Amino acid sequence: MTTPVLEVRGLSVNFGGLRAVDNVSFAVARNRVTTVIGPNGAGKSTLFNLISGAVRAAAGHVLIDGTDCTGQTPNRLQAAGLARSFQITNLFFELSVAENLRLAAQILEPVRMALRPVASSRTTQARVDELLERFDLAGKRAMPVAKLSHGEQRRLEVAVALAGKPKILLLDEPTQGMSHGDTADTAHLIKSLASDVTVLLIEHDIGLVMSLSDTVIVMHQGQKLAEGTPEAVRGNPDVQSAYFGHA
Amino acid sequence: MADALTRSMRASHVLVAILVVASLIFAAIGVVNGDTFYLRLGTEALIFAGLALSVDVLLGYTGLLSLGQALYFGLGAYISALVLMVTPSFWAAMGATFVATIAIGAIGGFIANRVRGVYFALITFGMAQVAAKVVYNARTLGASDGLIGVPIIKVDFGFAAISTASPAGFFLFTLAFIVILYALAAYLLDTPFGRLLIALKANERRVPFLGYDTVTPRLLAYVIAAVIAALSGALYPMLRGFVSPELLFFSTSGNAVITVVTGGVGTLVGALYGGILLTLMKSVIGSYTEHHLIVIGLLFMGAVIFLPRGLMGIVRPAIARILERRTKS
Repeated sequence: MTTPVLEVRGLSVNFGGLRAVDNVSFAVARNRVTTVIGPNGAGKSTLFNLISGAVRAAAGHVLIDGTDCTGQTPNRLQAAGLARSFQITNLFFELSVAENLRLAAQILEPVRMALRPVASSRTTQARVDELLERFDLAGKRAMPVAKLSHGEQRRLEVAVALAGKPKILLLDEPTQGMSHGDTADTAHLIKSLASDVTVLLIEHDIGLVMSLSDTVIVMHQGQKLAEGTPEAVRGNPDVQSAYFGHA
Repeated sequence: MADALTRSMRASHVLVAILVVASLIFAAIGVVNGDTFYLRLGTEALIFAGLALSVDVLLGYTGLLSLGQALYFGLGAYISALVLMVTPSFWAAMGATFVATIAIGAIGGFIANRVRGVYFALITFGMAQVAAKVVYNARTLGASDGLIGVPIIKVDFGFAAISTASPAGFFLFTLAFIVILYALAAYLLDTPFGRLLIALKANERRVPFLGYDTVTPRLLAYVIAAVIAALSGALYPMLRGFVSPELLFFSTSGNAVITVVTGGVGTLVGALYGGILLTLMKSVIGSYTEHHLIVIGLLFMGAVIFLPRGLMGIVRPAIARILERRTKS
């Protein structure tokens, strides 16, 4: 059996008396889309915060390619190949689209380039152009992020997370607040990402979850309730009662 | 292709070039008229512009408000004065200032960077106040009188030498010195390292998730700013022949912040124009009334209300647009 690219073992955290994430374990297969779903307050975003180093876990382990990365800072985790986007758009708002991408992409340059003029870093520039094209933002490259539409900001949020060429991409509700058409486009985009990056996704749009995911993990009150293919999860009576209450 | 940040920096270069031309004309007029007072005042303005430049590296690019930048300015002035009184060598004074400031700046940066925002401002303020009080009470440093009798020196380049007593000569030397400090800061800020500092200002919390450590760049920015302030300060005793504890006082730090805000935060060149403007205003208004600080305070309030981006914040984007049009055509 091959080592999973990302493995989570017994991850837990408490906020005051609340056990926000309670002994969650799962493994994510390489270059697949795994989606975490669950009602509001189920602990999905907290789970992402634990995995990405934003919040320190009280217990449990995070393994990337079999290496224990528990308790590492977000920048170390990025170096290990893990990047994330945020549910609430978290970008450099006064800077332009291209400059946001450039900041995220310049991590690809060797350290000796840190003190060379930015105009001379070809690798970064190529990566920026590639992402502008792929995320359909080329027309807005010089625009400050604050002036983008909500949908464009959400797209850029994903592009910025992807810029450093991570192995694992955690996307926290990338379609949050998007129009129906934009959501469909984004779904298509995420599907295309999975050819060279492992995607762990939080998503509320059930139609999108079903069409996009290889595996679905259901969370409820901090715990993992179910895990399986979209069809298996949909048919699971525990999941139905968590979402719709008891009949 | 240059992005907006690189273009704005080029616009700053244009404005610095204009300043240099204006300064050369000023120096020529001064020489023709046999002036000493205005050339000396211009030199002092440039020295304080160097201090303001260091504030802008922190405030305008890294997002750190230092209310104690006078600590390093005064440090440079005192070290320079002490060295010159032992051995009248420009290079020895600068070398000693440089080395000492890196060491002390690293310690100060380590302390101040443990906190953010208002607390950072207060700690930098506190450290400068402590240093000022120590100097003020240290008899070996001349206490409240400061150090007097710093000798006139020759800045020796091997092929030529400039006397600090020559009003035009030392003015032009200081101009070149401050422009070099500007150029170094501008170069650094247009590298990936500089972009990282800009990112820290724009949204520090996102930066670690892009894979960057935030502690080291912030500390480096602090030390770089300390060195700029100290090297500028080291010129002060060469100009005036003395140093006094006032150089370390809050008024010096506060004036530098006012200078940057008036000139335009995050433009670098704004610090230079602001520094010259403020020094000239203080001198001109000061010749009419001893309450010149009231006038300057009012002008500062006016600038904040009516020119929130400062003088260069208005001029620079216009120049950036002209540059953009020229590259496109």
